[in-house]
Amino acid sequence: MLKLEHVSKTYGNKNEKAVDDISFDVYPGEIFGFVGPNGAGKTTTIKMIVSLLAPNSGKITINGIDNQHDILGAKKQFSYVPDNPELFEKIKGIEYLKFMADVYQVAATERQERIEQYLDIFEIKDAVNDPIGSFSHGMKQKLALVGALIHDPQVFILDEPMVGLDPKASFELKKIMRNHCDRGRSVFFSTHVLDVAEKICDRIAIIKKGRIIEVGTMAEIREKAGSQESLENIFLELTE
Amino acid sequence: MKEIISLTKLFINESLGFSLFFYNQKFNKKEFYKQLFTLIIVPVALIPAFFMYVSLMSATYFGLTMINQTSVFLSIGYIMATVLIIVFGVMYILSEFYFSDNIEELIPLPINQRKLIVAKFLSILVFEYIFTAFIFLPILIIYGVGQGMGLLYVLLSFLVFLTIPVLPLSLITALIMLMMQSASLKGRKDMLQIVFVFIGIAIIFGVQIWFTSQLGSGDEADFQLLMNTMLTNNESFLNIIGYIIPTSFLMAWTLNKITLMSFAWVGALLGITLLSGALMVAIGERVYIKSIVSGQITKKSKKLSGAERSKALGKKSHGAMAVFTMDLRLLLRTPVYFFNNVSIVIIAPLCIWISFAFIEIPPEDLQGMQEFFRGMPILINFLLIAFFVFFGGTSATTATTFSREGKASWLTRMIPVTARDQIVGRTGVAMLIQSLGIFFTIIAIQFIFPLTLSTLLLTVVLGILGSLPILLFGLFMDMNRPLLNWDNPQKAIKNNMNVVITLFVGMAYTGLLIGFSGLLGYFVNSLLGYGVFLLISIGISVVFYRVISNRLETEFLNFE
Ligand SMILES: Nc1ncnc2c1ncn2[C@@H]1O[C@H](COP(=O)(O)OP(=O)(O)OP(=O)(O)O)[C@@H](O)[C@H]1O
Ligand SMILES: [Mg+2]
Repeated sequence: MLKLEHVSKTYGNKNEKAVDDISFDVYPGEIFGFVGPNGAGKTTTIKMIVSLLAPNSGKITINGIDNQHDILGAKKQFSYVPDNPELFEKIKGIEYLKFMADVYQVAATERQERIEQYLDIFEIKDAVNDPIGSFSHGMKQKLALVGALIHDPQVFILDEPMVGLDPKASFELKKIMRNHCDRGRSVFFSTHVLDVAEKICDRIAIIKKGRIIEVGTMAEIREKAGSQESLENIFLELTE
Repeated sequence: MKEIISLTKLFINESLGFSLFFYNQKFNKKEFYKQLFTLIIVPVALIPAFFMYVSLMSATYFGLTMINQTSVFLSIGYIMATVLIIVFGVMYILSEFYFSDNIEELIPLPINQRKLIVAKFLSILVFEYIFTAFIFLPILIIYGVGQGMGLLYVLLSFLVFLTIPVLPLSLITALIMLMMQSASLKGRKDMLQIVFVFIGIAIIFGVQIWFTSQLGSGDEADFQLLMNTMLTNNESFLNIIGYIIPTSFLMAWTLNKITLMSFAWVGALLGITLLSGALMVAIGERVYIKSIVSGQITKKSKKLSGAERSKALGKKSHGAMAVFTMDLRLLLRTPVYFFNNVSIVIIAPLCIWISFAFIEIPPEDLQGMQEFFRGMPILINFLLIAFFVFFGGTSATTATTFSREGKASWLTRMIPVTARDQIVGRTGVAMLIQSLGIFFTIIAIQFIFPLTLSTLLLTVVLGILGSLPILLFGLFMDMNRPLLNWDNPQKAIKNNMNVVITLFVGMAYTGLLIGFSGLLGYFVNSLLGYGVFLLISIGISVVFYRVISNRLETEFLNFE
């Protein structure tokens, strides 16, 4: 569903690689967690997947489409919510949602159904006629989530989705992620919250200084580490 | 004191973006050279304008010597500088005090309010001193040299120079602070900014209209005549403004003739200036932070019912339409964007209308002009076309279309919208605004100069098509070097080289094209003239369209 092969990225003319020869696969029906310390290269990797940054080398395929050859085709396969979604402040929530539905060419009935459903789940129905500038941080994040779910993407990509959401919303989001995968689609997200990663991810990749140091199911990672410890302890050991 | 200085440095640094500049010097050479180029090219581009200004002022001085009225020279300069400082200052003050994000980060820190206000004020003042130096120093030097002044003049004029921007700026700052805190204006920051700027423009207009009407009935603008009217008229311009800006008298008394009294006058000037500064700080301490803390309210709209929501969501519409709507909304709803890109289409036709309204053309002259036009339609047609192209080219709407989105531009780059839809949507917005300008202009002209339908059709079509290459050139520039890293929408336009480049290139191009096809039309065949104009416009547009649609998706990857 999502495949990275030997992807590398260096910013400007810095010497250090922000992302260094990364490869992994996200399979259909799978929630894939991406964990690592601050500055490890998670956001950089995600930006390359969603065509906000060009890799220096390597290949990324999304649902079978190479995102360097068919950028537009690849873009139709996913939706993306950044860690800190900056949205147009002067635009009303509902106008933003209509825009998203239009650019992904979602039919009238579907867009209405989905938006009503997700607005209810995230409890921002009443705010949706206000300019986004008046939204709180969490409300913006919820709006971006609703906008990203409008076209029911093949791959749902999220950068730090749990930060800033209230407990109810992050509970609902986890349900949505699960449900998404149960329908044969995939979720790929980065997180610092190891408990969440441990509980809901089918597989996990651990990244450190731009390199993947571990990838697999929780059981596989435990086995390699040779312990029955929590992900937190393994993480702390591995990223020492 | 140290704190104030470091805060001032911080604010200046923020508004110029120096830290990013030095970061790029180390880590991103390509960006660095782009910025360096900007830093060099802007002053260089302004040199000719500055020379024109200096020679105009020298001419004014000699004109005044001939009628023995050199004593008003400094006053003219002083008043001019003050008015300009006020007009530009309003924008600076609003954006530094009210529209910059840093204040919210600074309020919680244990920094004395007074220091914060003084530092913000100083950071504006630094720019205004540079500005004043360009406007007023030439005047001081011309007068000093002309009158053969000595060292004392230099000393005194330096002191006077120091006072010039402080007084108007502190008063305006105090005024803005008072207006901003008045409860009824809370939650309407945006509207207020527009209102202020339009007041500034109204002042300039008023002054100009006054000049025009003083000139009498549209005879040649004889400089001496103007001066004589101004000086003999009891309620002359200088006196009127002099009463509004009383310090201009103090300045004139200080510098026109150096006597012992000069020191007293300059002392008074310094005193008043310090007082005005103190007044501003005192008012600021009362109201500024308070209004920042309580004024962060955006007006909320009413809640929508389910039916209203589904109506707002509507049916599937085209990608180009979605881009168009979004771009237009941002343009109309952000005051700075509106002011820079849209207001010109209202102001320019208004200018035409006002100047026609004030210059009374005798009926027989008007008839003569209309006959002349009938005899030589091609001249007037190309003149109109040039004016219509001007609306498209000079507002540089497409040259900031990506820049205006700032940090939210990730959305534009992430969504699957074809390059064609992006180009059509964004160029469409610029064309819509241009069409408004054309529409208003036609209305303004229609009063004096009824145009036939065929003339209208021809000039409008050619005017719009003729500006298409410039619109696409602007889009091309912004695609290649968008300015996204701003915290204040003003920077997306004011610090954006794309605007300047598109403006210069657009004007040069328009001049050349109109000149060339106009000459062809006049000397060879009018149809050939229009035809060549049309072909060149379409040809260049097609080339730019191709280039942009091939490159856009790849360029999106390089935006950050
Ligand atoms: N725009 C940029 N310019 C230069 N270097 C950058 C840029 N963005 C990120 N980096 C560098 O790339 C490396 C990886 O950053 P990245 O943002 O991908 O980390 P991250 O894993 O998302 O961290 P966090 O958990 O803090 O979000 C860091 O060393 C960072 O300094
Ligand atoms: Mg990150």
